[in-house]
Amino acid sequence: MEQGFIDLDNVSRWYGKHLALRQINLHLRPGRIGLLGPNGAGKSTLLKILLGLLPPSAGTGRVLGYPLAPVGADSSLAGALSQLTDELFGSGGALRRAIGYMPEADALIPGLQGAEYVALAGELYGMPRREAQRRAHEVLTYLGLEDARYRRLEEYSTGMKQRLKLAQALVHDPPVLLLDEPTSGLDPAGRDAMLELLLCLGRDHGKSFLLSTHLLGDVERVCETVVILHEGQVVRHGSVAELCTQRHDQYRLQLQGPADGFLADLRLEGVQVLHDNGRGEVRVSVPHGWSTRTFFVLADNHNVLLRGLQRDDEDLEELFHRVLAENGRNGQP
Amino acid sequence: MGNLDLLHYRPWRGQFRPPRAGVWPVARVALWMIFRRKLFWVLYALGLFIFLLFFFGQYLLAWAETQTGEANVRVGGFGRANPQQLIGILRGFLKLNGSGETYGIFFNYQGYMVMIILALAGAILVGNDIRFGSLPFYLSKPLSRWHYLLGKALAVAVFVNLMTTLPAVVLFVQYGLLDSWDYFLDQAGLFVGILGYGLVLTVTLSLVLLATASWLQRTVPMIMAWTILFLFCRLLAQVLVERLHYDAAWRLIDLWNCTYVVGHACLGIDLQALRPGVQPPWYQAALVLAGVCALCLIYLVLRIRAVEVVKG
Repeated sequence: MEQGFIDLDNVSRWYGKHLALRQINLHLRPGRIGLLGPNGAGKSTLLKILLGLLPPSAGTGRVLGYPLAPVGADSSLAGALSQLTDELFGSGGALRRAIGYMPEADALIPGLQGAEYVALAGELYGMPRREAQRRAHEVLTYLGLEDARYRRLEEYSTGMKQRLKLAQALVHDPPVLLLDEPTSGLDPAGRDAMLELLLCLGRDHGKSFLLSTHLLGDVERVCETVVILHEGQVVRHGSVAELCTQRHDQYRLQLQGPADGFLADLRLEGVQVLHDNGRGEVRVSVPHGWSTRTFFVLADNHNVLLRGLQRDDEDLEELFHRVLAENGRNGQP
Repeated sequence: MGNLDLLHYRPWRGQFRPPRAGVWPVARVALWMIFRRKLFWVLYALGLFIFLLFFFGQYLLAWAETQTGEANVRVGGFGRANPQQLIGILRGFLKLNGSGETYGIFFNYQGYMVMIILALAGAILVGNDIRFGSLPFYLSKPLSRWHYLLGKALAVAVFVNLMTTLPAVVLFVQYGLLDSWDYFLDQAGLFVGILGYGLVLTVTLSLVLLATASWLQRTVPMIMAWTILFLFCRLLAQVLVERLHYDAAWRLIDLWNCTYVVGHACLGIDLQALRPGVQPPWYQAALVLAGVCALCLIYLVLRIRAVEVVKG
């Protein structure tokens, strides 16, 4: 698996005239990867291509060594016939067997019990029935749903449904998980538990996953690598730690006295005033190598009393929006 | 999830089967969804009642034929009857003579019950998958949309054949055992005809059910649609052909009559002997069925292709 987890070369996808993905070049190694992007960024299209549900309009790629669906397979008659034959009689779906997909939507079958649902998922992945049943019980127990195994799915709470969806993705022990908004609809405790579980699966059990989300906190907490998509392009790709080094140092200042001169001097020193509430509370972004002593020196020069100084760094969400804004200004990734 | 430290994740290293192996689990779950409702067991029992009428009717006929010397015979607890009259009723009403007509009438009666049950079961079989968003669950697995459709069609096929073909085969075997072993050899074509009638019903009803259920999704609209399709069209065809004396080809708008005509052709029955008398040729009925099935299949493929496995 080390030789290539996801390798995409110039992958594009059009829907009619709309370009959903624009020449994506992505080479990812196994690990915990976050896929970030606002609505319409192309995340869903990328996931469909990675799952083999949609062929790219241009470009080539491999996921876990399996080639993507051939270009334009859905547009020509010969391509469609070949796809039909492969779907019915071929070994098609080998890619989807290597991947466990946890959908964002409920995708449950009302009337089935938890254990039946997960066992059915195992059978659909190609596991023999008895093994699928045994494995369903194991996975549900591992995910803390052993007491709810024989309950009907419509009686599950939101948190239990999320874990059940993870169980059906995990039942055939895939090397890779595609997780679509796994913490969606969860309360803070449920979200913490889910993230802890994902971290455990990735760190302790060697599962690679691609976590598609708009919650940057989730990515920051469990992922090593992050891919940011915007308007069908990869605008940033790197390790989460690397991205965090690009954070701006920020401070929250509490001032007493006329602050206009003090703030003007701060600006001359390269400090950016992000927010001033007019009641003595200011949030500033400082240049690299900034010493907090300078705050006190300048405050003293302007007879301003610095009552509070608190570090308030840019979080990943702000960084994400800044990256998108910078990308918009530069007009390039 | 506090027990994560105690319960460890265990890997699985087994052999995967090809995607087509997923067809039966899809069908099995669909059948399970139907049969876990008591209403369907009641309807199934009613369906079996017709079979029992034929099954014990054949025994009664065989017994009555041995009593022709008597003026009156006692028929269980129902009273006394003239054996000749009894034979006449059984032969005339149920056509219990082991010919194609016997099985044709059986399929026809049993078919009504099958239609009622399928109209009620359609929403459970397919409609709920679309209504409650279960389709992405199936389609995100290695099996394709064709495997999904095959699985659902297989569920309908199992049900239809449990109600029609299988009991008809039992009647065939019973008649052979009551008559003589030569019956099996002489009427081997009839056995194939029974399978053919079952196939016509299976293919037509599976596709029409899957298409209407994926379109309408709920039980009440399903029942209304099937009433229009199989009852209203039937009445309309009867009025046009029998009252207004239009051409017999107008009977082709009656889908149920088309299965009846093609099915009886499979059983080798002369179409002139069919009720009602004026019928279109069997190949025209077969063409109509093929056209309807093709339309249903195209609709199903488009409908399932439109399902978003990954929400945008």
